[in-house]
Amino acid sequence: MKQLYAILEGVGSVVQLLVRSLSYWATIPRQRARFIEQCYMIGYTTLPIVAILSFFIGTVLALEAGYAMSDFGAKEFIGSLVGLSMARELGPMMTAVLLAGRVGSAITAELASMKVYQEIDALTTMNIPAAKILVLPRLAAVLVMMPVLIIIANIVGWFGGSVVARYVSYVGISPEAYFAALRHYTKFKDVMNGMEKAEVFGFVVVLVCCDIGLNTRGGPREIGAAVTRAVVVSLILILVLDYFVTKILL
Amino acid sequence: MNTTQQTARVGLFFLLGVALVWVTFETLSDGKIFEEHTKTLIAGFGDLKQLKTGDEVRLAGVKVGSVAKTRLAGRRAEALLQIDPKVPIASDASASIVMSGLIGGNYISIDMGSSGAPPLPDGAEIRTVETPDLNTLMSEIGGLGKQLQDSLGSFSKALNGDGKAGGGIIQKLDKLVTDNSSRVDATMSNLQEITGKINRGEGTLGKLVNDPKLHDELLATVAEIRSTATQAKEFVSNAEAMMDQVKSGQGPLGTLVYDQKAADDIKASIANIRSVSDKLAKGEGTLGKLINDPGLYNNAQVTIKKVDRALDGLSDSGPITAVGIVANALF
Repeated sequence: MKQLYAILEGVGSVVQLLVRSLSYWATIPRQRARFIEQCYMIGYTTLPIVAILSFFIGTVLALEAGYAMSDFGAKEFIGSLVGLSMARELGPMMTAVLLAGRVGSAITAELASMKVYQEIDALTTMNIPAAKILVLPRLAAVLVMMPVLIIIANIVGWFGGSVVARYVSYVGISPEAYFAALRHYTKFKDVMNGMEKAEVFGFVVVLVCCDIGLNTRGGPREIGAAVTRAVVVSLILILVLDYFVTKILL
Repeated sequence: MNTTQQTARVGLFFLLGVALVWVTFETLSDGKIFEEHTKTLIAGFGDLKQLKTGDEVRLAGVKVGSVAKTRLAGRRAEALLQIDPKVPIASDASASIVMSGLIGGNYISIDMGSSGAPPLPDGAEIRTVETPDLNTLMSEIGGLGKQLQDSLGSFSKALNGDGKAGGGIIQKLDKLVTDNSSRVDATMSNLQEITGKINRGEGTLGKLVNDPKLHDELLATVAEIRSTATQAKEFVSNAEAMMDQVKSGQGPLGTLVYDQKAADDIKASIANIRSVSDKLAKGEGTLGKLINDPGLYNNAQVTIKKVDRALDGLSDSGPITAVGIVANALF
């Protein structure tokens, strides 16, 4: 019962934070510097790890597909499998997971520290809402940066699959055949589908991490606990939302 | 890092993302943001099988559109085909559902139709041809397998019998051989004896097999028979040619057989001959009297005798007399 109450409290807190943040939506142009800084943090600095992870996801997909499909002579479909898997599911989900681990944890740690060291209280005293200058720029930045991260993740993942398809002996299909199958079965609609999914994931991850950071109470020890909680909740929400968003988009 | 650098990097990163989105879009969708105006054709089938929205429509193997929608229309299923309006589909072209691979996937295949047929307008219905799918084929193969199994069962039953009286072919053969084993042994013994004689060169067949002279003679006889047959063939050929000539009315025989005038002449000649012979038989005319009157015969005999004697006298009087006779005759 206590846990259910805690969950409901968390949901209510997140919704309140969302409403408060969106009420300051018109202030985005005046917070250009903060917006750019968050874009840099969320997008630019996350790119290397997203690219590395996507490349190897693509390679593993091609390896597994090649191993399974070579048994019944369907290796030509590896390109379509990697293309669709990356565009519709693995690209958005793994990027959101990385976002939760790298950016979400950093956001929670930063906001929890500010809360613990009473900087948030100081801002409130000065009539500067935290939702306006700390949450809204991050939400706007993640909405702008997620499509960029997703398209890079997709392309790098597709390329990783083509490398495996070309150079692994038991797969052994040419890049032309791989990309022909990919193009044949993967439509731009699928890529857009993945981007929409990633927008939802990124927005929820940043919102939840901000909320947990802003609601941290206690001393420095609570900062670590808040970060852990933020990452765990984000990962669970990503997977739960994945089902519902996929069902809606199909 | 100052704010300007950060802004530049974020801007570059964002532009890179936009560029990649554009490249992906161009690559995957051929640069079509919105659906182009297309021509819609209706294809009605008894069963759409695994055809679904988005499957390709190919004209002679080239993609010209896609399946926009599938729906039920009364007692049949319809597929709405969105076709590139620049591609004319002949009014006598027909569409069929074709499997693109064993692991599923279908497309609509349209043939070219005839070159002179007018193109189908927007919203028209295209002719369709039902094709068997994998399930139908598997079902037919299953039926064939059952028939094969039944045939093999019948064959096996015929061979081995079905346990009823009489048994199968094998049992009957076995009984036949068992019952007639003594006769079979005797036959085999006789055969052995015959082959032994042949081997030793005894009898006609043995000599034929073992004696080279008989063999050569046989060959010569065969050669003669062959030569005779060739001659006979030539003879028959000549006879056929002759008959052809006769049939075509050429030559005397042909004229005789096929010429009506000649037949009439012959008939008239025969009638004349008959008339003459009748007269002869009746003793009419000189010849008739000559043949039938013995007095005339006797007179002729006397006359001949006299002539004979005269000639004898003439030969005795010499050539001068003969000259004198001739001269007398002349002057």
